[in-house]
Amino acid sequence: MSDILSTMIFLLINGLVIGFIITLVALGLTLIFGVMRIVNMAHGDLYMMGAVISYFVLSFGGNFFISLFTAPILVFAISYLIERFVVRPFEGNPTNTMLVTLGLSFIIQQVTLITYGGVPRVIPEPWTLSFQMFGAQYSGYRLAVAIISATILSGLWSFLHRTTYGTFIRATIQDAEVACATGINTNRIFTFTFALGGTLAALGGVLAAPITQVFYLMGNNVILIAFIIVIVGGLGSFKGTLIIALLLSILEGTLTIFLRPVEVRIISLMVMVLTLLLRPSGLFGRRYR
Amino acid sequence: MVCSVEGIGEKMKTSTDMISLFRVTLSRSLFHVSIITITLMILAPLLPTHVLSYMITISIFSIYAIGYDLLFGYTNQTSLGHSLFFGVGAYGFLLSVLHLKTDFWGSLAIGLFLSFILALIIGIISVRLSESYFVIVTAIFSNIFYSYALNATWLTGGSDGLSINVPTIYLGNISFSVYDPVINFYFNTIVLVFVYFLLKRIVDSPLGRVFIALGQNQERLTYLGYNIYRYKLLAFIISGVFTGLSGTLYCIRLRYASAEFFGIIWSILPIIWCLIGGRKTLLGPCIGVIIFTFFQFYISSLWTYYLIFFGLLIIILFRFSPIGIVGYINQRWGRQIHENSRNN
Repeated sequence: MSDILSTMIFLLINGLVIGFIITLVALGLTLIFGVMRIVNMAHGDLYMMGAVISYFVLSFGGNFFISLFTAPILVFAISYLIERFVVRPFEGNPTNTMLVTLGLSFIIQQVTLITYGGVPRVIPEPWTLSFQMFGAQYSGYRLAVAIISATILSGLWSFLHRTTYGTFIRATIQDAEVACATGINTNRIFTFTFALGGTLAALGGVLAAPITQVFYLMGNNVILIAFIIVIVGGLGSFKGTLIIALLLSILEGTLTIFLRPVEVRIISLMVMVLTLLLRPSGLFGRRYR
Repeated sequence: MVCSVEGIGEKMKTSTDMISLFRVTLSRSLFHVSIITITLMILAPLLPTHVLSYMITISIFSIYAIGYDLLFGYTNQTSLGHSLFFGVGAYGFLLSVLHLKTDFWGSLAIGLFLSFILALIIGIISVRLSESYFVIVTAIFSNIFYSYALNATWLTGGSDGLSINVPTIYLGNISFSVYDPVINFYFNTIVLVFVYFLLKRIVDSPLGRVFIALGQNQERLTYLGYNIYRYKLLAFIISGVFTGLSGTLYCIRLRYASAEFFGIIWSILPIIWCLIGGRKTLLGPCIGVIIFTFFQFYISSLWTYYLIFFGLLIIILFRFSPIGIVGYINQRWGRQIHENSRNN
């Protein structure tokens, strides 16, 4: 009995930790959608890029903390360039933007395949610490992931709510035209937000690298669940994304006891379909037409 | 060919008029298509087998492309979920031949029916959503079904796939087998021509006008009193069923289907075909198929990482050539036709 209980608790915490990582990815998507009304299909590949950069930093003799700073900075620069030169020409046409970022995702994946190789690699956990919790052995790194992500999330919250630039971003989310009329350079906000979203995904990637395998297609799996989360929570809603990401990850984590991963994914799909049928704008979303 | 444009043939003087002759024949594409088809059909027994097999592939992909064009070009909805219907069409045929032991037409009907049902379900869920949601939701559906098909090896055979013996086709008293490449070519070409004329008929009918209006301005259509969701759903289903048909034919041609038929690449390909040839022109996607299938064939044999090229092509096409080849021909020389007819 206690065996089952400890397994349950282990999976619960595991779901929570993975939920935090996915929250980072999904929040990036939501942020970009809220400001620019587009969906970045290459988001999962920015996540993958974070993990791959982390691998390269480690193989060149760096450590985890160096990669935690270099990867986001590099991905910030890359997504800045992507917004400026690939996405910007399609402003005002969401579908074309999405397809173009989908094309970009192919390019990023194949370039990674050329430079990094197609073999999944495992990055060692930075600490060998582990905890004894309710009879289950739990790695200290995973708890650190939860703490680091929570710090990043609260940092993002205070950036959006306590700084001038954050206020500009929130103003653009409310109404881009009015924001532009009040003198906010919305173009710069667009580029910055896109890069910020990419950075969040890359941070997720760096944190996830020691937990999962680093693989050039690792983004596909994450972007799928991130899309589902964002739809259930409501595209553009931060609160919804955060809550649903944690809930859904815990649900998926617990269900893996009974079912195979694909079947768990199908259950998440069912949740998404139900939400779309009952509340098309998501559980916490405003109405976007 | 001359007799078909007799009306304006008398007024031809300069070389630009020759171009407008070309354009008029293109606009009378029904005539053009039938001529090409009949020529090819007469020539078919003389052609070498690999050319035939290439042309069979082209006709199958063309069915997919023009079916997709109804959705992507005319009603301006971008679905990333069509690989699902492609795969389901193929597996519907394959599994009913394997397990239900149905004959050819029965299996074909099952494949089409399954893709119809799926298109109906996914359509009901997704057509009411906004543009961005529509793309994501269809993409999620095809992705999840793809990973399910990869995992459910007991049903689909995974990425190794399953192979079958295609049953003999009985048509009244005549029976023929698709194992003969010439017969297979005839079969696929006839289906393609049938699908083309059917879609042409749909596009030219009042229903097709509603589809075009849907692609141009949905809100105005709502104010005119149309139930836009019903028409969106209808377009989605029609295009889904034709995608299923093309999946079935592809399965018949390869006598094999694998979980890779559900892969995302099969959702990207029709977009590229439509963009190369020209959206909103049923002939354009076919031209796109001919060009791109050649290209894909050579580039994938030359370079392992040819998917980079896919990505680049999508970006370049959307950026610099959103109207496609037939679109350019219409834009460049279409106006002169109008001027000519006004002067006359």
